[in-house]
Amino acid sequence: MIEISGLFKRFGDLVAVNDLSLRVEPGEIFGFLGPNGAGKTTTVRIISGLLKPTEGRVIVAGYDMARQPVEAKRQLGLVPDEPFVYPKLTGAEFLRFVGELYGVALESQRKRIPELLEMFELGPWGGELVESYSHGMRQKLVLAGIVLREPKVLVLDEPMVGLDPKSARMAKEIFTTLARRGTAVFMCTHVLEIAEKLCHRIGIMTSGSMIAMGSLEQLRRQASSEGSGLEELFLSLTGGQEYLSLLKHL
Amino acid sequence: MTLLIRRRLRSAWNGFFALTGWELGRNLAFTSVGIGLLAAIYLGFFRLLSYLETVPLIGELLLWKLTAMMMLATFMMVVVSSLLTALSTLYYSYDLKFLMGSPIGIRKIFVDKSLESLFFASWMILLLLVPYMAALIQVKGYGWSFLGAFLWLAAPCLTLGGSVGLAFTLALLYLFPSSRTRDVIWVGSSLSLTAVYGLVRFSQPERLIRPDALMLIVEYLEYLQAPTAPYLPSWWMTAGLSSLAQGRPASFAAYGALLWCCAAVFYGALVWLSGRLYFQGFSGAQEGGSAKRTLAIRPLLEPALFWKERLTFFRDVKHWSQILMIAGLVFVYLFSIRRLPLDNADLRSLVSFLNIGAAGFVIAALGLRFTYPSISLEGRSWWVLRAAPLPVDLVMRQKLLFSAGPMTLIALLLGATTNYLLEADRFTAWLSLGSLLLITWGLCAMGIGFGALFPLFAVENVHQIESSLGGFIYMAASLFYVAANVIILSWPMNMHFQERFGNAAAWDFRLLCIAAACWIALHGLAFLLPWSLGRRKLEGLAA
Repeated sequence: MIEISGLFKRFGDLVAVNDLSLRVEPGEIFGFLGPNGAGKTTTVRIISGLLKPTEGRVIVAGYDMARQPVEAKRQLGLVPDEPFVYPKLTGAEFLRFVGELYGVALESQRKRIPELLEMFELGPWGGELVESYSHGMRQKLVLAGIVLREPKVLVLDEPMVGLDPKSARMAKEIFTTLARRGTAVFMCTHVLEIAEKLCHRIGIMTSGSMIAMGSLEQLRRQASSEGSGLEELFLSLTGGQEYLSLLKHL
Repeated sequence: MTLLIRRRLRSAWNGFFALTGWELGRNLAFTSVGIGLLAAIYLGFFRLLSYLETVPLIGELLLWKLTAMMMLATFMMVVVSSLLTALSTLYYSYDLKFLMGSPIGIRKIFVDKSLESLFFASWMILLLLVPYMAALIQVKGYGWSFLGAFLWLAAPCLTLGGSVGLAFTLALLYLFPSSRTRDVIWVGSSLSLTAVYGLVRFSQPERLIRPDALMLIVEYLEYLQAPTAPYLPSWWMTAGLSSLAQGRPASFAAYGALLWCCAAVFYGALVWLSGRLYFQGFSGAQEGGSAKRTLAIRPLLEPALFWKERLTFFRDVKHWSQILMIAGLVFVYLFSIRRLPLDNADLRSLVSFLNIGAAGFVIAALGLRFTYPSISLEGRSWWVLRAAPLPVDLVMRQKLLFSAGPMTLIALLLGATTNYLLEADRFTAWLSLGSLLLITWGLCAMGIGFGALFPLFAVENVHQIESSLGGFIYMAASLFYVAANVIILSWPMNMHFQERFGNAAAWDFRLLCIAAACWIALHGLAFLLPWSLGRRKLEGLAA
């Protein structure tokens, strides 16, 4: 699970994350929403150990990311917003490399890497250099690396960007299956439909602060808009309705 | 076009003002170190030129011959450097897709990218030539307007040198858009360049500047007065400057006009051609590698990081060309050692000792090209390692091992073969070889450490990493480290020579202990300081 307490991140005068505290339980899919520049990717980077917080603590599967980063990272799988992977490795070699980094048994690697490549429809390209892959193919490769090692905590930053409809559906299936098996999933997304369908709880962040958190029902009550969809909720909470006046000028 | 230039100026402006006080202070501190290095180069040249000035009769000729050779070397370095930068800048820049998709003419995009390539290929080489010119001005009393004249001629000269790389790359990508063919041609070209370099060296041009190798003194004087590579712009530049020095401004103006006209015609022709050739090459470059590869077998005992380093390094064709050039460099180095006119055993041992400095400089230069950039070359894939359960120290150690292995082999080859060729005595041979190997590891540790301290994950080519502020500081620190080693080791070497010359009480153990303490402190500093600073920097850095 993920436990964040009193998290701050400042870049000079800018407060990117302002006193964030939350908890994602094993088996839960937590949707993290917010407008551009809200501090979502900064939060993802801090949880994944890519960025040091100014203040606060992040516990991943019982390990403190600041004090036991290696153990914490062993439990964590990250799908970044931009899936850059080594262009001079082939897809299969990249999976092998990931398997070695995270200590996946050699036998398991030998059996599962070809299976995963087939599953993500990368089989015919598994022996080609990643530099010839499209964005979506690289995204699928990163996802295959996650499935290879089945982490206890999954952190996803816009995981559906670049995926074709079939792959996007498969990715959703993977996330729900992993959650059913006890993985805590922290998903940062702009696709409200996905958040609505997949997430058990949702947090909405603006200007570095969490302004609402809970199940869809709880958020509806908070926004006093019974029966409305997540999009209306999101816009009412983040004040996104002002674009309507701008549209009049078009 | 002005819009494209404005965006660069604005980016540079914003980049400068986005620096925090600490970053500004750090950069200023390291820039001061760089200026110190330039000052040291200036002093070295000042002494050399002052000496040449005192040589009766031919002092002036020697001085201008040396200037011509400096200009030729600079021009050739810019040509080679532009070959390395043009491909990535013209065809693989991160903003090219945006620019190509914008309503901007293809020629304007070419001008924008080619000027960037020319800048990166030449700025550091030009900067290293400035101390030479400053020393020349001081020794000869030409006045500082002479420096302006030098820069006036250097601009078209270096543009011509850099345009060679642009022309070659433009033609290569147009004629061979398929990546595999392009790679083969690229390696073939590097092989040819290495062969030409070797052939020039093996023709022993140094025989010409040794008066005893020529039949008559008249022949020697004729050689000194003859142009050095008269058809190359580097000679036109030298001739222009010497004309100005001799009070012939009309001749200076004529050479200046020749250089500017040639640069304008050559570069203008490239811009015109780019309208026809550039887009086709760019389109071919987007196709990427399509060659089918099989799963590489990873030896069980080879660590995963080391395996990844090996595969990514050897699959990059740009590295092959440079490996070929290194092979040529090593052979030429050893050939030059073999041809040294040393007929005295003591002198041979002395040269064997001084070889620590020369070979150390070669290793430092290779370190700048291969070791220093290795952290930055993780590029945008750095998140993979940063998010993995690995301490930063382990990543750095694996990179050190990957780099230090081949470097040790090169150092062993340069050190042991030189000692063998020079028939150095046992003490000198072991001292020079042992310290050279230790220096090699020290330089590699510094390369990884400084590379971690100044990481550049978003650059487009390795040349930008090498020519960055961090690269400059690494090189300055490396040269200081090599020089300090030679100075410290000269104490025991001096005692050894005194013993050879019959001084029974040559060994002063108190002085020996001081030298050993200095030596340990120097290596401790070289191994640990950049390493720990770099590790801390990477640990705190966002991926």
